[in-house]
Order: sequence, then structure tokens, then C-alpha cells
Amino acid sequence: MRLIVNQLAKAYGYLWALRPLDLEIAPGEFIALLGPNGAGKTTLLKLLAGLSTPTAGTIELDGKSVAANSATRRGHIGLFAPADHLYDQLTVLENLRFFTALYGKESQKKGLAAAVEEVGLAERADEYAGNLSAGMKCRLSIAKWRLLDAGLLLLDEPYGVLDGNGVDLLEEFLRQQCAKGHIVIMASHHVSRAVNLCSRALVLHQGRLSFNQAKQTPWPSFDRAFGEFLPRGGL
Amino acid sequence: MTLLRQTYLLMWKDLLLELRRRDSLLTIFFFGTLLLFVFHFAFDLPPDRIAELAPALLWLAFLFTGTLGLAQLFQAERDNHCLDALLLSPLDRGALFLAKTGFNFALMFVVELVVIPLFWVLFNLSAWNLLPQLFLVTLLGTVGFCVLGTITAAITLRARARELLLPLVLFPLMIPVILATIRCMESIMQTGGMTEAMPWLRLLIGFDIIFLTIGILIFDWVIES
Repeated sequence: MRLIVNQLAKAYGYLWALRPLDLEIAPGEFIALLGPNGAGKTTLLKLLAGLSTPTAGTIELDGKSVAANSATRRGHIGLFAPADHLYDQLTVLENLRFFTALYGKESQKKGLAAAVEEVGLAERADEYAGNLSAGMKCRLSIAKWRLLDAGLLLLDEPYGVLDGNGVDLLEEFLRQQCAKGHIVIMASHHVSRAVNLCSRALVLHQGRLSFNQAKQTPWPSFDRAFGEFLPRGGL
Repeated sequence: MTLLRQTYLLMWKDLLLELRRRDSLLTIFFFGTLLLFVFHFAFDLPPDRIAELAPALLWLAFLFTGTLGLAQLFQAERDNHCLDALLLSPLDRGALFLAKTGFNFALMFVVELVVIPLFWVLFNLSAWNLLPQLFLVTLLGTVGFCVLGTITAAITLRARARELLLPLVLFPLMIPVILATIRCMESIMQTGGMTEAMPWLRLLIGFDIIFLTIGILIFDWVIES
């Protein structure tokens, strides 16, 4: 799956949340989307997910416009919201069953129990999602997206509620997605983690793309570009 | 996946959630029953005017109770931003409209099954043999209410004062449905047959079909804007 973004922009009234931006992302790339609060990271993710309408510009997935917003296109885009997008009054298994059916992936039904087992929720498979802690819900989201297997997976601050083991699970899952040729774009303030995983970093500042470069080791240009936003202690 | 299969899936989810929470059903059932008792004590209907006034009172109760149900219609989707999860999926928006309309209709149907006979008892109406015909007209009116209600509930979904806005938008649009249903029921109660009620019945059926079709076609735009 190849993602091409042309002059994509979003304004709320007179305020530019995202200024015109061009991007081309190849299959299997892991993009770390970084920047301070209010930089436009979530706006960009929502535009890519099709949950927000751009003020200008186009988004193409494999050469086809996402603006057409067809059901087939939507089925290839996933938005990983750590503790959201789950029905509290459905059990862990019912949530997975519902979403796999919604995405027309009934063939994955056999894999439901295995997916739940892999994220450590086997013993709580029949509990309501609403009874799970935020970290457990995040694990359930990992199981959900593992089953739905989106070609373009967008993540907005996924680390906040996960414990160490949960972080390992998530990172392993994201590596597997990239190995399959899927694109992963992760917005995070956990800069060191995001940079460790990524193949490329994008830095947004006040709605502008101020840095866009493939990962290097060492990476002095990134340190310079991101320097002023780095949390105390740096990377 | 076909439109009907997606509709079935969403309705299964909504009915399962309602069975577990019982918020909407209990609320509209008790409110509907309460309204009937209030009407019973407030109005002393003269026998010669009962055919004229009973349908209006009955539909007043359905309108208020149904609006309460509509305010809760997208609650499950508001929690945890589940609406975004649905909009992100390859779901046909028409299926979402049909499922929500069907779910709302199912709730109203259950309430009407109890409220209509109760109304007959409370107002000491004798024409029990007309109940099947009146029930049929009520169901057609309920379809119209649910179709328009689902569209307006979706329009007001992201509004801050949606509980206030919903009836303000819905009630004026409901006038043709309410008028046709009440006139139809009135005619059946006065004449004991369907013949004279046919023009109103045709209007009601036409309204249901037109707005059901419009709903399926425009829901994509309504829910995303």
C-alpha cells in the first residue's frame, strides 16, 4: 500500500490547523509523527483516516483518491485509539466478533480466541469491555487491529496507558504490520520509543511540516530539528 | 457485505446493548404509561367526542415517549467515540440508518403493544374489534416517526443542546405523519372500517416510503457533516 498526500491542509475558521503538506509513504514504512501539543498531529491523522474533511489537498492510497471515501477504501485504514472505539457493554469477544464482521473478515472468527490469548486477555474474554482497565482496553485494541489487519494503521498516543509488557506487545505488532508491507503512522510524545521503531520521522510545528527524513544513526539533523521540542533530558 | 447483512449486524448489537442496559425501553415504557394516567385524570372525555380526541391523546403520548427514546438512540456511539469506529469502517451509512430506524421501531413497537390496550382500558373504550386496524395504522405512523426521528437524531448528534434541539427540529417535520395517522384512526373509530381512511392511509404509506428512501440516500452526508 502506497500513500501519497498532495497539498493537504485543514483550517478551522481562520486558524490553520494543518498548512499545505506533501508526503509520499512507501509500503512497509513506519512513520513517527512528532511535534509539540497543538502541532497538528491529530488533525493529520483524522484527515488520513477520513474522519475529517480537508480544506484543501488530496490523499491517495495505491493511486486511488481517499476523498471518494468508498467503503472499500475505508476498510484499509485503521485508527488505533488506545482505550476508545470499543463498546463497553459488549464482552471482549463480542467486540472482536462485531468489528471483524463489520469489516467483512468473518474468516478471522477462528482467530478470535488466539488473538485474545496473544494479548493476555484470555481469562477475561467474557467480561464486558467496560470492566477492563484502560491498559486492558488498549490490549483489546491491539487484538482488534491484529484481526482487522489494516493496510494503513494510524496511532494517536498509544503508549499512555500501557504497562511494559503491553508496550512490547504493541511494538511487536507494529513491526509485524510493517513487515507485511503495511504502513504505520504513529503520533507520540514518547520520542525515544517512536524514533527507535520508525523508518522515518516527520516533525510538525504550528501546522507546518518542519522535518521529514529517513532514520539515520546517528541522526544529528533530527536532534537539531526537534531540539527545541525535546522533553527535558533529550532522547 | 450487503446492506441487509450490515443492518442486521448493527441491529443485533443495538438490541444486545439495550437488553443489557434497558435504559431506553424502561424509560419510554414508564413515561408512556405515566402520560396515559395523567391524561386519564386530566381529561374527562365525553362519549360522543371520544373518537375525535382519543387518537390525538394516544399520539401525543407516543410523540413524547418516542422523543425520549430518540435522545438515547446514538448514546452507545457517543460513548468511547464508537461513532468514529463505525465511520472508519467499510460500513454502508444506509445500513446504519436502517439499523437505527429498525431498533427505534422495535422499542416503540414493544411500548405500543402495552400502551394501546392500556389506553382502551383507562378510557373505557368499547370498540375492541377495531384494535387490529388501529394498531396497523399506529405501526405505519411509528415507521414515519422512526424514519424522521433517526435522521433528526443524527443531525443533532453533535449539538450541545441536542435534547432541546431534537424536538424543535423533529416536531414540525412530523406534522404530515401525525395528521395522517390521527385522521386515519379517527375515521376508523367513527365509521368502523378502513374505506374512508384510505386517502390518509395512502398519504402515510407514501410518506414512509419516500422518507425511508431519502434517509438511506442522505444518511452518509447527515452523519459525516
